[in-house]
This record gives sequence, structure tokens and C-alpha cells, in this order.
Amino acid sequence: MGFGKINIWYAASLLISLVVAAPILTVFSSFFETTGNYSLILKNTFLYDYIYNSLVLLIGVLFLTFIIGVGCAYLVSFYNFPGVNFFKWSLILSFAVPAYIYAYSLTAFFENYGTAFSILKNLFGEGNYNTHIPKFDGMMGAIISISFSLFGYVYVLTRTSFHYQSQNLIELGKNLGFSKKKSFFKIILPSARPAIVAGLSLVAMETLSDFGSVSFFGISTFTTGIYNAWISFDDLTLANRLSFYLLIFILGLFILENFSRKKAQYHTSSKGGFKSKSVINLSGYKSFLAFSFCMLVFSISFLFPVLQMLYWTIIFPKHLADLDLINLFSNTIILVILSSCLLIALAFISNYGNRVSKSKFLEALTTFSISGYAIPGIILAVAFITFISWFDSSILGQFEMKSIKPIFIGSILGLVLVYFIRFYSLASNGIKSGYLKINYSIDEGAYLLGYSKFKTFKNIHVPYLKNSILLIGILLAIEIIKELPITLIMRPFNFETFATKAYIYASQDLLEAAAAPSLFLIIIASFFILITSKYILKD
Amino acid sequence: MTKNFLEIDNVTFTASAQNKVSNVSLTIENQGDIICLLGPSGIGKTTILRTIAGLEKINSGKIILKNKLLSSKDVHVEPEDRNISMAFQDNSLFPHYNVLENIKFGAERNKKKKKGLNINEIIKFLHIDHVVDKFPHQISSGEAQRASLARSLLSNPDLLLLDEPLSNVDQSFKEEIQVKLKQILTEQKITTIIVTHDSYEAFYLGTKCGIILDEQLKQFDDPYNVYHFPNSIEVVNFLNRGILIPAKVTGENSLESADLGTITGDFIKHYPKGSDVQLLLQPEDLEHDDQSNLKLEVVDRKFRGTNFIYTLKTVSNKLIPVFVHSHHIHQHQVDEKFGIKRPINIDHIVCF
Repeated sequence: MGFGKINIWYAASLLISLVVAAPILTVFSSFFETTGNYSLILKNTFLYDYIYNSLVLLIGVLFLTFIIGVGCAYLVSFYNFPGVNFFKWSLILSFAVPAYIYAYSLTAFFENYGTAFSILKNLFGEGNYNTHIPKFDGMMGAIISISFSLFGYVYVLTRTSFHYQSQNLIELGKNLGFSKKKSFFKIILPSARPAIVAGLSLVAMETLSDFGSVSFFGISTFTTGIYNAWISFDDLTLANRLSFYLLIFILGLFILENFSRKKAQYHTSSKGGFKSKSVINLSGYKSFLAFSFCMLVFSISFLFPVLQMLYWTIIFPKHLADLDLINLFSNTIILVILSSCLLIALAFISNYGNRVSKSKFLEALTTFSISGYAIPGIILAVAFITFISWFDSSILGQFEMKSIKPIFIGSILGLVLVYFIRFYSLASNGIKSGYLKINYSIDEGAYLLGYSKFKTFKNIHVPYLKNSILLIGILLAIEIIKELPITLIMRPFNFETFATKAYIYASQDLLEAAAAPSLFLIIIASFFILITSKYILKD
Repeated sequence: MTKNFLEIDNVTFTASAQNKVSNVSLTIENQGDIICLLGPSGIGKTTILRTIAGLEKINSGKIILKNKLLSSKDVHVEPEDRNISMAFQDNSLFPHYNVLENIKFGAERNKKKKKGLNINEIIKFLHIDHVVDKFPHQISSGEAQRASLARSLLSNPDLLLLDEPLSNVDQSFKEEIQVKLKQILTEQKITTIIVTHDSYEAFYLGTKCGIILDEQLKQFDDPYNVYHFPNSIEVVNFLNRGILIPAKVTGENSLESADLGTITGDFIKHYPKGSDVQLLLQPEDLEHDDQSNLKLEVVDRKFRGTNFIYTLKTVSNKLIPVFVHSHHIHQHQVDEKFGIKRPINIDHIVCF
């Protein structure tokens, strides 16, 4: 690293990456600590189950989200068919439904004497419908719940990438005699690869750290193992060690992707000019098929859980009347605003620091730090509390200074900081993906017009990436609204959000009572999506 | 202290192990001079511009502009603090601003300076007035290149760097732009370094030309000298405007060639009588004469509008280019015989 690379951007980027990497280092350090007896028991009993189930879940979810996300993005980006403009934004609404709420809906609808049974009974009278209604439980239920809740990551990022693809590329394929199929596999798909991989990475990390739906369906994965190690066996070191294995796996995925990408560049080449895409008008059965595919995905991913929750809310109105809506709403929004602003600002600074310094060390550290997304929220929260307690007693206690525990534990500040560590990957990956679209010559052109690094950042990058920022803001807002374990552990006393309220009811087996806060959670998240959809759709 | 406007002293320009130009020393003496750098693709011409602009660092030598040290092993003035503007070969327009807004970025840089160019005039002369409201992705690469040039010109820099500025510009108004560009640069006294692979463009625009070959600045001289007095066989081969034929020095002003017989003229460098040399023959060195008894076979004829270039085969199978005005009364077809005027007298004899 040259002396010139140590500038304020480098220092800021380094600091941010170190803060985010701190919990991962904590998890890594567990490798050298002694674990309890549970470790041995686990090795002889459930460990292979955890590995097998986590892998099956991961592969199933990645496959399904890839097919649904890329399929929908391709159809709405390259073709014109009835409802295409509606689907462009409505498909994003699936973000509003957390996997655990989807799991409740799936079970409630298909279970014996569930909603599906009631519908059939009302339509056709009494009958033995339970034997004919399919049951989506266990692994299948978890894969479906998580996939339909998360495919939006792949859809949004891939669609943005398709949107920026130049018509020149497609025409080039035609000139080379490529069929539509070959163009798709040789040109369209590879050039959207960074976006697809970014989307799938997020899905993978979310899947591996999901707790709500897998525990609901009773599947033993690494996350439930981590939870059991901590809650049931009080073995935090083992919990950390299991998280360590999970992290190694995620890092392996990152490295594999980086190697396979080699030196390929994914900038939109400006040489030869950019030509906007011309969409193909579909008609006849092709138009019907495209419409049906998108409609099916929209109905399954969004309409289905919303209607199920609405149905419960309507038939159990007492639970709705018991909710302190204003308090829940303001708490949720405060957390969203504080956390999103902090995340976007710091992820932007860190990415720009990486870009300016071109330091391989910094890039490696950033890649390492964002793998913290795979650490289940529960572990992050515990690691944070452990660290603050250690700092308080070991450092501040030595100098008889005032305790900082009340500032960071059981406070909004502590909660926001743990959110920051948890969701930094989402913000950073999104901004990185946006930066891939800006050629370095744009920066150099600005410097040569007398723009400082800060002015280039403020006047060139921020305005150019404002749509990306809004998109990331939405993704973060939705994630924070849905986030459960961190909020449960880190929140101030009596501080409730829609997510914690829904969870508390569900954990008491009051699924009907959980419907109202779940429904409001979905409505707020949907609102965020709707008010910003024009930026997502802006051509 | 140096009285030169720009001084590059023993600098090695490095982009990668394969792409570097070593130990370059050159000076621009006066403000307003235009330097053109010529060389094959991938030789490192752009790296030189990027380094002068401050986008790359150096490990040896120094770069001084207007008596201010910009680059050395220990010093690196950031690009934004150099008042050097560069128009890139590829489109470097800001994609989220329209063409006019992009161009205004240049004008705003030096708005405090009273002296300046008129934005509308620049837009008009570069033929981009019809695209000012469009965004970079909506215009052609040639238009983007001209918009980038306009932005750089309007920034009124101490030093302007142009990387293949007209490579994507239509031939129909390329010459017009060249003329106007030279006029503006000269009138405004904008010191400029232009990288190009077009030797005609370099000879027209440049006060001086530099030829970069084999990781070195092979020749740095005014365009007339570069063309007529190339200092190495490599430069001759790169310019591709003549051929080397074997000859023997027979006197103070004469030599003998097996292909063309006796040739007279002034040697630009002394060679002892009896020396075996390689004589540079350029298309304008030989004259056509139908009555001559020195007849060579035509193997190719290129029509260049104002002239023809005939390629003739000698007895030793050397291919010699000969320039003939296109209004010459008759034309010679391939395989016909073509007369060369004797005695052959060349204004200046260049040998190696």
C-alpha cells in the first residue's frame, strides 16, 4: 500500500469495515475456546442433519428464487404484454411479507380444516377435502415460504441490470446469428451476472440465518442449532463456533464467485454509444403465458399471505382493537429512518473509499466484513452485549469511569448499531452494484475538471446513484421492519414494533392475534415500496 | 527554475509491465505550443497523458508545469489541483447530465477567469448544437467525443491533453474541426498535448511531434523534420511513407543504386566514400517521365484525390512508391511500364 493511499476516504472505509468485521472476529475467536459437552453430543447426533438440511434448504431456495426472480425480471424488461407495467412494481411487494408470516399463512391455508378446507366446504358443501388438499410443511414448506419472501432481491437487482443493458449488445447477438435462446444465455444473462449474484448472495445469507420459518416447520438447520446451543445448553462458544462454520461457507461462496468472474468487467461500455432497448410486443398464447407467469408469482407471493392475514384480522376484530397502533407505528418508523440513513451514508463512504484507494487489502476486508450478514441476528445481538459488557468492566472499570451499558444495551442507539452491523452487507452490496455501472473515466473526468474527491462524490456519484440509494433504502426499511431477534433482544423495555408484537402473539400460539400486527407490518412495507416505485420504474 | 512551460525530465511512464515508456525527456518551451505524440496502439501514449494529468504516479524523474513540480518520486499533486484538462478517447461524459450540462462543467471550472471561450461558439463549431439537450446514452460516440472535447476546451486549462480527440469523428467535418481547433488553441494560447495515430493530423496540428516506439520516445522534432529527416529506421517504418533501398556512397553528393542507378543530392549526414548504406526513398523523391529509359513495372496504384501513389517494382524486386499529381495527363495501369526521370536528384539524402 502506497503512502498516497492513506487518505480520509481510505481511513473512513477501513474504520467502517473494521466495525462491521468485529462481530465476525468474535465468532472466529470462538474456534480457539473450549466448548461444553454439548459440542460432543452435537457432533455425534445432529451436526450432519444441520449440514444436510441447511444445504438442501439453501439449494432449494436459490434455485426457486433464481427461476422466479430472473424469469420475472426478464419478462417485464424485454417484453410488452397486458399488465406489464403493473407487474414491474407489484412483484416487489413480496418484500413486504416476512418468511415467518408466509409460513403461518401457508400452514393456515393448507392445514386440516384450514382456510382451503373452509373455502371448499362453503363452495361445495361437506366433504373429505383434507385428504386431497396438499400439505406444504417441513422442508418443502420452508423452501416455499423463504423463496416467495426473498425472490424480490433477485428480481429487483436483475431488473435494474437488464434495464441498463444496451440494445447494442442484443443487436450484436443478432448480427452473430444468435437465436433468442442463445442471446439470453450468452449475452443477456452473463452481462447481468453481478446483479444476479448479488441478489442470490443476499438470498443465501438470509436463508442461512433464517430462524422464524425453519423453527416453525421444525427443521433442524445451523441457525436452530446455534439457537439451541445458546438458549437450551447455555453454550455461547459453541453457538459462535457453529456460526463460524456458517461464515466459512458464505466466504467460500464469495471467493468462488470472485474467482469465476476473473477479470471480466461489467461496466456499460460507452464506446460506440448507448442505445435504449426496444421491447418486443407479445401476442396470442405467448402474451397469455407471460401474463400468467407474472400473475401467478404476484398472487402466490403477495396476495395469498395478505388475504390470509386480512381474513384472520376480520374474523377476530378484538385483537385489532387491543393494538396500540400509534405507538407501534412510530417506534417502527423511527428505527427505519435512523438505521437506513446511517447504513446508506456509511456504506456509500466505504464503497467510495474502496474506489478511490483501489486497495486490494481494503477490498478484501470489505468482502470479509459483509459476510457478517450470514451471522444470525441473535448471535450478533449477544456478541454485541458481550463486547459492551467486557469493555465496560475491563476497560472503563479499570479507570473507575461511568458505565456505558445503559447507553448501548436496551437502548435505541444499541439497537440501531446492531442493525447497522446486521444489514451493512445489504447496503454495501447494493451501492457496489451501482458503482459497477460508473466507469472510472467518469471520476477521472471530474478530477480533471478540478473536482475534489468529495465534490466528485457529492456532485457526480450521489446524484447518479440516487435511484440505487432509494432502492437500497426500501430494501433496508423492509428488512428493519421485518427484523425480529435483534429487536427482541436489544430493544428498550416495553418498546414494541409490529414484528415483536406479532412474534409474541405467535409464540403464545395466538396466530389469529398475530394476524393484525402482521397485516400492518405488510401494509407499511408495501407503502414504502409504492411511494418509491416510480423511481424503480423510471426509464 | 526553468524557463520552459512544461518540462518532462527522464520520466518512465508505466501502466503495466508490458505497457511503459522509459526515460522520456521533453520540453514545451512556449505557452500555446501544440505537441502531438504518435505511436502504434498499446505503446503507452495514453499512459503518458494520464501521468501528466496526475491519474498515474511516477517512480523516477519529474514533471514540471509553469515552474511548479507536479510529479516526482516523492511529490504527487492531485489531478484536481493541476489545472490540467483531459479529453478521453472513450466517452467520459457524466451519464446523468445532458450534453449542455456536461459542457458547462468545463466552463464553470474557470469562470473567474475573464478570458474564455464562448460556449455557444464551441458547441457550434464542433457540430453538437443539435444534441445539447440529449443525454450521453442518446448520442453517438463521435458526438460524445466532441462534447467531451468542448468541455475540456472550455475549462481553459494550463495544459490541455487530448487522447485521440477526433478518432470517432466523421471524415466529412474532421478537417473542418481540425482547422478550427488549431485556430482556437493558437488564439487562446492553450498549450496542448495530443495523442493520435493519424500522422496527417499530427503533422497539421503539432508544433512538434514525438514518435513513441519500442518503449521509447524515438524522435521529438517539428513535423517537417520528423517526416523528412527521420532519425531511425524504426521511425521510417512506423511512418510508412517511404522505402529503404541499398546503395553505395560514390562521392560528396552522390550514391549508386543497383535499382535506380546514380542518385545525387545533399546528404544530411556525412558518409565516407564507398560506404554501403540504406537510402530512404519517399514518394515525392522520384519524378515521372514517360521519355525516360529507366522503366519500372507498376504493381499497384492508389488514387488519393489530389494525387496517385504508384508502387513500382525494381529489378531487385524492391517496391518503390512514386507520387504523381492526379491531373497528370495520362494514367498507368498495373503491369504497365512507368518511366522515372533521370538523372535522379533528391533534395536531401537520408541514409542509415
